[in-house]
Amino acid sequence: MKNFLKVAVFSLLIIFLFAGFANFGVPRIEPAPPPTEEKVDLSSLTMDQFLVLGEKIYKGKGTCTLCHNALGGRAPLLEKAAAVSAARLKNSRYKGEATDIESYLVESMIKPSAFVVAGFGKKGTNDAVSPMPDVSTGSIGLNEVELAAVTAYLQDLSGVEVTVKIPKDAGDSAEEEEEEQRKPYETVEDILSEVGCGACHKVGEDEGEQGPNLTKIGATRSAAHIRKSILDPNAELSKGFEKDLMPKDYGTQLYASELEMLVDYLAKLK
Amino acid sequence: MKIPKLLQAVIVLAIVYYGFILVFDVILDHVIPSSLLTMYMFFVVAGVFMVFTATEEGTRELVAPVKALVEDPNKKMIRNVVFVILPLLAGWYTFEKTRLSFEAPVELRTIHPAPPTSMKAFGKRYNIIKLENPLRKLEKMDLKKFKEHVTAGAKVYIQNCHFCHGDKLDGKGPYAAGLNPTPANFQDVGTIAQLQESYLFWRIATGGPGPPKEAAPWISSMPIWQDFLSEEEIWQVILFLYDYTGYQPRSFGHE
Amino acid sequence: MKLKNENRWGLKVVDVAFLALIFFLTPIIISGNFSGEFFNIAAQAAEQAAEPAAEGGDAEKATSLYGPAPKTTLASYPTVKGVNSRIVIWLVAQLHLWFAAFVLAVPIFVFIIEAIGMRTRDRRYDNMAYEFIKVSITAYSLTAILGGLLLFSLVLFYPDLWSYLATIFKDSMFWYAVLFFAESACLYLYYYGWHWLQGGDRKWVHLTIGLLLNAVGTMLMFLANSWLTFMMSPEGVNAAGVFAGDIWPAIQNHLWNPINLHRVVANVAFGGSIVGAYAAFKFLSSSRAEDRAHYDWMGYTANFIAISALLPLPFAGYYLTTEIYAFSQQMGITLMGGIFAWLFIIQAVLIGALFLSANYYLWCCMGRSDGAVRYYKYIKYIAIVIVAAFLVWFTPHTLVLTNEELKALGGPYHKYIGPFGIMPAKNTAVNLMILATFVSFLFYRRANKVATVSWVNAGNAAQVALFVTGVINIFILGVYYGYFTNTVYKIAASIPQVCTTLVIIVISILIDSFMYKNAKEVAPLKWGRVPERSQYALFLLAVSFTWLMGLMGYIRSGIRQHWHVVDIMRDNSADAFTPTMGFAANVVSIGAIIFLSMVIFVFWLSQISANKTEPQNYWVPEAVDGIASTGGKG
Repeated sequence: MKNFLKVAVFSLLIIFLFAGFANFGVPRIEPAPPPTEEKVDLSSLTMDQFLVLGEKIYKGKGTCTLCHNALGGRAPLLEKAAAVSAARLKNSRYKGEATDIESYLVESMIKPSAFVVAGFGKKGTNDAVSPMPDVSTGSIGLNEVELAAVTAYLQDLSGVEVTVKIPKDAGDSAEEEEEEQRKPYETVEDILSEVGCGACHKVGEDEGEQGPNLTKIGATRSAAHIRKSILDPNAELSKGFEKDLMPKDYGTQLYASELEMLVDYLAKLK
Repeated sequence: MKIPKLLQAVIVLAIVYYGFILVFDVILDHVIPSSLLTMYMFFVVAGVFMVFTATEEGTRELVAPVKALVEDPNKKMIRNVVFVILPLLAGWYTFEKTRLSFEAPVELRTIHPAPPTSMKAFGKRYNIIKLENPLRKLEKMDLKKFKEHVTAGAKVYIQNCHFCHGDKLDGKGPYAAGLNPTPANFQDVGTIAQLQESYLFWRIATGGPGPPKEAAPWISSMPIWQDFLSEEEIWQVILFLYDYTGYQPRSFGHE
Repeated sequence: MKLKNENRWGLKVVDVAFLALIFFLTPIIISGNFSGEFFNIAAQAAEQAAEPAAEGGDAEKATSLYGPAPKTTLASYPTVKGVNSRIVIWLVAQLHLWFAAFVLAVPIFVFIIEAIGMRTRDRRYDNMAYEFIKVSITAYSLTAILGGLLLFSLVLFYPDLWSYLATIFKDSMFWYAVLFFAESACLYLYYYGWHWLQGGDRKWVHLTIGLLLNAVGTMLMFLANSWLTFMMSPEGVNAAGVFAGDIWPAIQNHLWNPINLHRVVANVAFGGSIVGAYAAFKFLSSSRAEDRAHYDWMGYTANFIAISALLPLPFAGYYLTTEIYAFSQQMGITLMGGIFAWLFIIQAVLIGALFLSANYYLWCCMGRSDGAVRYYKYIKYIAIVIVAAFLVWFTPHTLVLTNEELKALGGPYHKYIGPFGIMPAKNTAVNLMILATFVSFLFYRRANKVATVSWVNAGNAAQVALFVTGVINIFILGVYYGYFTNTVYKIAASIPQVCTTLVIIVISILIDSFMYKNAKEVAPLKWGRVPERSQYALFLLAVSFTWLMGLMGYIRSGIRQHWHVVDIMRDNSADAFTPTMGFAANVVSIGAIIFLSMVIFVFWLSQISANKTEPQNYWVPEAVDGIASTGGKG
């Protein structure tokens, strides 16, 4: 027992020595806390966090990368968008009212047709009309703060000076507005234009090419099939089209009456 | 006459202790930090103890005077004196350690904190891990042009940096004495010789307030040089730092 | 008689073939040529059964089967009031690891000792091997209990992480569970069959079971390692954490093999030190001379095993660090610079303590022979080399300076001490420390002998020359390449340094073994004649190893920072931050105390199992007689 106590005391002493050295023998340094990821409070947002927010929207909610990517060539790449903006403003084909890079970028998101990069316009319009939807409305519905964040991100991405000021209070009210229920669209034309089906599909007056041609869709597909394809686009893909191209959230964006109106319309196209 | 083992041990320790002080503080004129000396002595004591107790006779001889002091009835007088002095010594040591003084508390700044993966400067984002000095390749391709950049870097250095970092790059510029922390000494083997060029670019471009939290307090008064110099000038001055000191920047690939 | 011999040969062939299989398979598995079919058989079979006609679409199917890594919020981490879930996981995982390391390591050297015993026909080896395995058998069930507890706490406190890992590693987890049964079967057969499987062929069967035990145990550890290295260097998943369906890349991720190697070597060193502590304790509490002799010998052997494994450990560590850098510079810099830089100073102090205690033990043990007197005078020189090398080894890169010193030095850089703070100096120092330890060992070996060959002087001179040139070479490599060339050579120079050290050790052992082949014993080794102080050196070794393992566990896990799975699954719990070194040291200390207490309990169990109490007037006399008489026949 005496030996046991001696050994125990000896071992404890060594452990205390080690712990003491680790606590007091070396400088105490407090590691930096993990970087924050989610930003809620706009008022305390730093520019870096604002840029991160912009990037998140760019890649997430804004669905920008769906078309602006290196794969499909559906839309111009935006790595240099802000850098070439100044030249765009002077271009003879420019139809907008922007005066500087910042306002040009915002305009390009809400009025995409103000300037269409050569080769990226809607078919048959000779690059006069852009296939891109107005991202401040419809399914994407970015609010002002989100547009500003994306603009700032695009400036940062191109390596030009970020001129966007962080909005101080617009965020909350914008969020609230979004919460309000919208009025149902009354005609199929409204649905087609607001949801932006024509950006990818050939339907009505639009001539989109990324999705299947819908002008005679009722001849080959039943109403049930069309409904399923709107609600779950990946369920059955038409030949030659990749999965995940079409947004999967139309089921939550459209009211039931609108969906039925749309299905009914499409099924009758023969 | 044979010196008792205990005394031998004490003499050895004293020689080592004052040896350190003599060598560093007096001969080399660079004080040995007291915190380091304490740790050094702890292990020297351990080593001496080990050598003196490696054999049975050695241990007995070493312990004998202590044993005698405690047990021998004839040494009552010395025993009493020692037992009074020892607690007093301990008390004095504690007092000395905890006494209030005007000395500011020791602050430790990590001189070379881990850099972030990417940094922002000149309105651009740089990936520090992959960033390379764009002028470095000229050393192989066009030596004349390379030399021109080094000369340009020297000019930038003399116009901006030498006030603090010194005209010999030894951290002893005219203003250095007034600064705390003192300016980096590029001639030291522990500074730029250990770092990649991208690290220097990061530290120069973002200056004193740049480092992450672990390098706090941010009391360095180095300016944020991206506000004063161009990107090329920073790369040039980096070329100059290595050229003048003769060090090679750290790299992870073979040449 | 002839038949028997043939039989034995047959078994030997089986053994050799088995060994060859293991040694050939391991590198093949490691080099990745093995496509991992083994782990996928079950999954593929199930898939095929479900959809026999699936062609082409297989790949798409596989991706759609798995979702991205879960995104957690604070609410995804269940809490139990008054319990810090991270500390619970930390302690339980560390305790599990300590015990697992111990029970995996012991069979490795038990196997070797048993084989030595079979070769030399020295019964003492067999008895010692048996005692070793006896020590580990109770620890085995504790390992399993702690493993269960770890699983339980993971599921309880980190359900999302657990389910994510389980979706990827479900196959290997299943086989892990199956292998665990195999491991138990082997261990119990090996232990309980020890006295039954004695002599001739039976002994070979027994040794084969031991080999099987080690093979299964190592495989178990490799499987478990893959889970944790996946968390550090995930592969087989895309950037969002979607599993591609093939488990092999996930297992064979970048840090898997470096960790495997490092752990096998460290386990042996750790296991040796724990058994050494056991022997030391038994030595201190025995009073009979032959017991003391036995436990002294056992402690010496265990210490020898621990130190032999300790010497290559720094190099396994370098390999791991290099691979961490290769995987991610960011992770490498987090490891070696910034906040963790000071951890390596603490590590240096601990490794120094290990080397000092190992040397001290050898010096004390020289006293077993009276012939050691001839070598005592050299001890102080060895000590000077070790202490001096050690001081360089732990000099920090960033010095802690008072303001006065800062002023006197004119800056935070120290012209003369600063250069000791960087790797080339430390590499040189650690090589010298290893060589000095080796010299201690040489002296110990020679303590009781006098060489009788004619070329003694020439042999000694050759050894001295070898050491001198080697040390000069190490110095040149360290000083010249370390300080006067660029970094690529700085790092590269450590390899020839290590090679020099190894060459010195190997050649000098060769010279020594020839020189002392038929050496005369001047004074016999008297096992048991060692001072009690030396046994405390063994305790220091065991405690330091334990604590060091805990500390390195903290940093291995700590470099993941706020990620469960690096860059794929973020830790959003309240404890995602990196704790300070002092806090970590306290947790490790508490863990070490718990572990050592449990180990003492285990040792005590193995001790009481040998104790028999014969109660007076307790059993009815006739009944006892009856059992005794029938018991004889059964």
